[in-house]
Amino acid sequence: MNNYYIKRILSAIFTLFIIGTLTFFMMKLMPGGPFARERPLAPEILAQLEEKYHLNDPIWKQYIDYMIGMIKFDFGYSYRELGVSVTEQIILKFPVSLRLGALATLFVIVIGIPIGIVSALKQNTWVDQLAMFIATIGVTIPGFVVATLYVSIFAGSLQWVDATDLDHWSSYIGPVLALSFYSLSFVSRLTRSSMLEILRQDYMRTARANGLSKVRVLYKHALKNALIPVVTYLGPMFAAVITGSFVIEKVFSLGGIGRYYVDSVGNRDYTMIMGVTMFYAAIYIVMVLLVDIAYSWIDPRIRLGKKQGD
Amino acid sequence: MRDFNFVDKSKKLDKEQIRESLTYWKDAWRRLKANKLSMIGLVGVIFIMLFGIVGPFITPYTYYEQQDELRLSPPTMKVYQITDEYYVFLNNDYKLLLISEDGHIIRRLDLQIQDFVNKIYYYEYEGDLVAIDYHYRVYEPDGDIDYTVTYLDNTVEQPTKTVWNKTFLLGSDHVGRDVLARLMYGARISLTVAFIAALVNLFIGVTYGSVSGFRGGAVDEVMMRIVDIINSIPLMIYVILLMVLLNKSNIWTIILTLGSVYWVGMARLVRGQIISLKNQEFVLAARVIGVSQGKIISRHLIPNALGPILVSLTMMIPTAIFTEAFLSFIGIGISAPQASWGTMANEAISMLQTQPYLLVLPSLAIGLTVLSFNFLGDGLRAALDPRLRQG
Repeated sequence: MNNYYIKRILSAIFTLFIIGTLTFFMMKLMPGGPFARERPLAPEILAQLEEKYHLNDPIWKQYIDYMIGMIKFDFGYSYRELGVSVTEQIILKFPVSLRLGALATLFVIVIGIPIGIVSALKQNTWVDQLAMFIATIGVTIPGFVVATLYVSIFAGSLQWVDATDLDHWSSYIGPVLALSFYSLSFVSRLTRSSMLEILRQDYMRTARANGLSKVRVLYKHALKNALIPVVTYLGPMFAAVITGSFVIEKVFSLGGIGRYYVDSVGNRDYTMIMGVTMFYAAIYIVMVLLVDIAYSWIDPRIRLGKKQGD
Repeated sequence: MRDFNFVDKSKKLDKEQIRESLTYWKDAWRRLKANKLSMIGLVGVIFIMLFGIVGPFITPYTYYEQQDELRLSPPTMKVYQITDEYYVFLNNDYKLLLISEDGHIIRRLDLQIQDFVNKIYYYEYEGDLVAIDYHYRVYEPDGDIDYTVTYLDNTVEQPTKTVWNKTFLLGSDHVGRDVLARLMYGARISLTVAFIAALVNLFIGVTYGSVSGFRGGAVDEVMMRIVDIINSIPLMIYVILLMVLLNKSNIWTIILTLGSVYWVGMARLVRGQIISLKNQEFVLAARVIGVSQGKIISRHLIPNALGPILVSLTMMIPTAIFTEAFLSFIGIGISAPQASWGTMANEAISMLQTQPYLLVLPSLAIGLTVLSFNFLGDGLRAALDPRLRQG
């Protein structure tokens, strides 16, 4: 039984290792080297820089150093800004993205799941149709389109909100809405379809026939089962919204890690790109791992899956 | 008169219950037609294709031609009448444009005197000065008057009318390029990227998936482990990294990047289909008469899995369009002067407060295109899924 957990954790570590190796060699393959500028640097300066960043070491030694650094959460120093450590930058800027992501996730849970439940219970009424129409649009329109339209309408034409910085609670509305609109729509659709599936099950009728009240059947039997797929979606979603806010942060000019990542991509700041990539990948993989473990705990069929086949 | 008549032969045939036998595809098309949303999607897709393919041939403008004189003219203009036949329009850049009755931009009027103290600009028209008093904008931003136009002692305080911009139907951007023409070229780029990337995905995914599924055993195990690993990486991050690695932003690097990353879903799907099909009798029969493995896959297995593959392909297209727009938007995709919707939105972001149409139009184009393809894909999924077949 514990085998499953050990296997999952080991495979997560292995995946991270692969990603680290890939990113390292991708960095080495980058054309032009990290110090290629429009105006070439003097050879002496270049030599000193390479010395400073240990770029003269044999490649296997660089690789081992990099991997050891990664384990210690040390991604080295920026190639562009002198003396700026990637880890410090991540620690400094991540809270903004985390806060936005957490708010967006909360928003999805508080609004998306109830919409799905109501839609399922009022199937084919106008409430259901309206909610599902909006949700269909929501899962298809990209987040940055939502963000730009929001800014142009509410900050541009109507001048209701200030579209930049997070100094007032109202300035959170736009970013959180844009960040969560897709997931909100997806979750309400998912909740609805899974709820409908459960409501059709025989044991629902049995429970009612046994004299349980409608409310009790709904909460005790339907909801608990219907939310299993939703819960599994929420984990990766949380990882996706805290790592996927590049554009939202750019549109609303917020100082989070996403905007920082995009900037360092623009600057070709290789250590920064690699560091943030690893950080993102780690968050994502850990979230998926946690959800898998939680899932196997909620639904024992998963962890015992292999034995059923025997 | 007889009680009974002979029935006309043609009428008799009419009564018999004959239904044309429906093939899988005919049946799917019949059900697709019945689905309103997906027909809307189909119409949208056809419209966007025409817009991108035919549009650039019709429009008199190109995506790169810059008419700096006439930059930043919005799609609709509030014009002030100065003579019997001519109107003027002051854009947000304080350039005064001479507009004809029906909304054609004649030319830009030259700025002669800038009176910063009284906030009045003087422009030259036919030897006389047109005075634009814009102090209202500065001192009474909430007042009724935006600015006044004085020409030959005649002052106009309110816009005479609102006209549609006939010179640039959807306005011109910050260097005087026609937005409509750029949107058309943008559609062309988006569709090219999406279709080629989807085909690359189709090719890699189908090959990989069918080999993995057909071979089974250790080969399958290793191939699927690789897929699992790729699947556990946030793909958008890898797309960005690959774009940085390739160090060139053009349409081909985007296609290469998208093609090399997003085939995983297709591979899984095809593998599943192949596994469910490969033990059926018709495959055994083919084997017995000595058909080679490659032929069994390409002639017998894949055609039978075509429905789900097609659905996945349709769903791949909006993903590709979205990713291209996204990459261009963050500045590592298609670069200017090439017109991609993402690039256009990116350029417009800094002018959001003054020229919202520059941002709204490409955003709407992206949104509507993705929406159309998704509606169509949803409809196809429902039409091709045998489980959902109900008369």
